[in-house]
Amino acid sequence: MADYSRLYDAILNGDAKTAIAVTKEAIAADADPLELVSKYMIPAMDETGKRFECEEYFVPELLLAARAMKGSLELIRPLLTARGAQPAGRVVIGTVKGDLHDIGKNLVSSMLEGGGFEVIDLGADVAPDKFVDAVKSHNANIVCLSALLTVTMPSMKNTVEALKIAGVREQVRVLIGGAPVTQQYADEIGADGYGENATVAVSLARKMVAANA
Amino acid sequence: MNSRERVLAMIEGRPVDRLPFMPITMMFAARQAGVKYRDYVRDYRVLVDAQLRVAEKFDIDHVSAISDPAREPADLGAALEWFEDQPPALVESQALLADKSRLTTLRPADPLGGGRMHDRVNAVALFKQRVGGEKLIEGWVEGPCAEAADLRGINTLMVDFFDDPGFVRDLFEFSVQMELGFARAQVEAGADIIGVGDAAASLVGPAIYDEFVWPYEQKLVDGLHALGTRVRLHICGKTRKLFGGMGRLGCEIVDLDYPAPIAEARATMGPGQVLLGNVEPVGVLKNGMPESIGAAIAACHRAAGPRYIVGAGCEVVRDTPDGNLRALRDYARSQPAA
Repeated sequence: MADYSRLYDAILNGDAKTAIAVTKEAIAADADPLELVSKYMIPAMDETGKRFECEEYFVPELLLAARAMKGSLELIRPLLTARGAQPAGRVVIGTVKGDLHDIGKNLVSSMLEGGGFEVIDLGADVAPDKFVDAVKSHNANIVCLSALLTVTMPSMKNTVEALKIAGVREQVRVLIGGAPVTQQYADEIGADGYGENATVAVSLARKMVAANA
Repeated sequence: MNSRERVLAMIEGRPVDRLPFMPITMMFAARQAGVKYRDYVRDYRVLVDAQLRVAEKFDIDHVSAISDPAREPADLGAALEWFEDQPPALVESQALLADKSRLTTLRPADPLGGGRMHDRVNAVALFKQRVGGEKLIEGWVEGPCAEAADLRGINTLMVDFFDDPGFVRDLFEFSVQMELGFARAQVEAGADIIGVGDAAASLVGPAIYDEFVWPYEQKLVDGLHALGTRVRLHICGKTRKLFGGMGRLGCEIVDLDYPAPIAEARATMGPGQVLLGNVEPVGVLKNGMPESIGAAIAACHRAAGPRYIVGAGCEVVRDTPDGNLRALRDYARSQPAA
């Protein structure tokens, strides 16, 4: 396959227009879609996450990189599906019931997608039964719950309980995050992990998938 | 020395009898008063009663009209979702400026027009009646980045910085002019200080902050000073990379959230800046024990030095045990400033 490192650069620089143009060029040249993802897109989002972690990138840069990655992925996804390619894992994500804050959840969602996961993003103010339904219908193996307010954190517990009652708790690993959330709270409600930021969330999700493989 | 005199003395660099104590209490105050937060944010009399009660009980040196960031957007016509016992939330999918072109015809809301902004002005006026001259009366406005995020949608604003910088500047200018009008009404009603909350500013890095946010924050702070009032700046989140700009704004108080290293803030902002904060509100203040809270606030004080006001990193959360907030109060009481 030809060198498409311009795709890596475009995503890292948040240049959606170039990312899409290079992807179209690669598809026209019959490039391997799996290789485009694994060699350029995932590494670009990993590097974006690293720069975010060391405060070289901030939320705007991360959102721009995510937009470029998504633009490219939209073109590649049908080819991946046609080849029967499997995602790194299936993640159901949402901000919990009563909470409309979604920027943190969106960052995690984008970084997971950029990390090769299939992400089912339920949005904000998501009721526990919606999480349950999505886990069942998408056969998810990870659930990510976000909250920004201390007063909505109990909805995380309610969601974990709903997964138990529905009999799907053992099928999924539950990750939680958000400004007021702590590891202690994750332990209290029986979540499997706490991610203090988007890159930690991706790293935890990868470890959990690897542990279950 | 009463509470108001204590805070003003600290701000002006005069001797104080002990450290001032100015935590942000909103849902905590409502809970203490036994009222639902929906009522607290909708009826200034409920807010004022709750603030006075919590200030009395915990010997807090100020009372504040802060409640939620949705007052200005509500009066401009933005869609809100209401909850019984938590702050109203803006619905980003129906953001007022989802269509950018609306900005050209949008006019600042009237702070005395009978809406949610007027309710805050009424709160300040009632504070003035009840505790004027005794407690420091704090009004509140949104900073340019926070207000712009509330009107445009925070996710969208973050990419607007790159996609349409001219629009961002126009939106920030609109926000500053509206907030100055809102602040003027609160100052005229009796506010001694205006809090400026610019939470969204911590999501951008120093390059965007310096280029876009800081100039409008400066315009707002200068405008507030021209009104003859004082300024408490509070930016939620990680602000370490923004310390230089925050220190140059000339705010009387810089109130730091818990992820902001206070020693570094002191080093960057210089010895004259009054710093406030910044005990972690959940892990330490809510979940900790009085002894550990005392140690944590002492560490903040040591790092900040003498020009310092005791407070939590951000809002005191609703279910914080009384004894834990008393631990902060006790520290303030026990510490004569240098």
